[in-house]
Amino acid sequence: MSENPFKIIRPTDQPPENLRKEVMGSVKFVLLLMRFLQLFMADYANVLFENVRVIGEDGERKDGQELR
Amino acid sequence: MKPSSSINDEELVAELQRHMDADRFGILYDRYSAKVFQKCLGMTRDRDLAKDLTHDIFLKTFVNLTKFDHRSRFGTWLYSITYNYCLDSLRKSQRQRSQDLDERAEEGLTDDDAYEAELLALKAERIDEVLARIDPPDRALLLMKYQDDLSVKEIMEVLSLGESAVKMRIMRARERAMQAYYALYPEER
Repeated sequence: MSENPFKIIRPTDQPPENLRKEVMGSVKFVLLLMRFLQLFMADYANVLFENVRVIGEDGERKDGQELR
Repeated sequence: MKPSSSINDEELVAELQRHMDADRFGILYDRYSAKVFQKCLGMTRDRDLAKDLTHDIFLKTFVNLTKFDHRSRFGTWLYSITYNYCLDSLRKSQRQRSQDLDERAEEGLTDDDAYEAELLALKAERIDEVLARIDPPDRALLLMKYQDDLSVKEIMEVLSLGESAVKMRIMRARERAMQAYYALYPEER
């Protein structure tokens, strides 16, 4: 019986040498991004209230202080 | 401490799920990169594209590692990501052909192996030419079934399809492969 032709044409090539470096570089970048997000989310409320001010249509702060 | 490369895939993934770490993921890369690259190459028949897809598949795997639920083997899960990612990329790069008649034909399905013996009797270089000519989804199915020896049940898992849909798609893929063969070699008809 002849061999299954699909098995004969199975690729045996190895991945390019530099691919590992590229994949690990991307993985490390994603990891960094995840850690940064984690840090931001952990202190989310603080970051939000430090940087956001609610102002009215007349440009006045809701707490009564006028904006310059 | 350097991670040990002797622990099995599932233990390694469990550790990664507790603490994401590039070195540990590197072990998984070393274990599976050749397999994933060869699958991508078989599907795309383009070395550069296979390299890009392998990169993206490993990145996708890393990002989704927490979703792995340990119900199947890690290799099967990665296999499923590989096939589906390659198929999606090939579909995007190709104009969508009029799609399957599968659902319509599902009822009264029989396990029609009419073309199987013919297909497996072809010469390897001719199979290679035929695979280059058929649509990526058909190519993927035939590779899963005849190159990787996946059972219908395993293909169902990989493609998230029902049994009759898988059987119908395999049958259609065989049919279309033989049509492509006869178009290439009309004297063989």
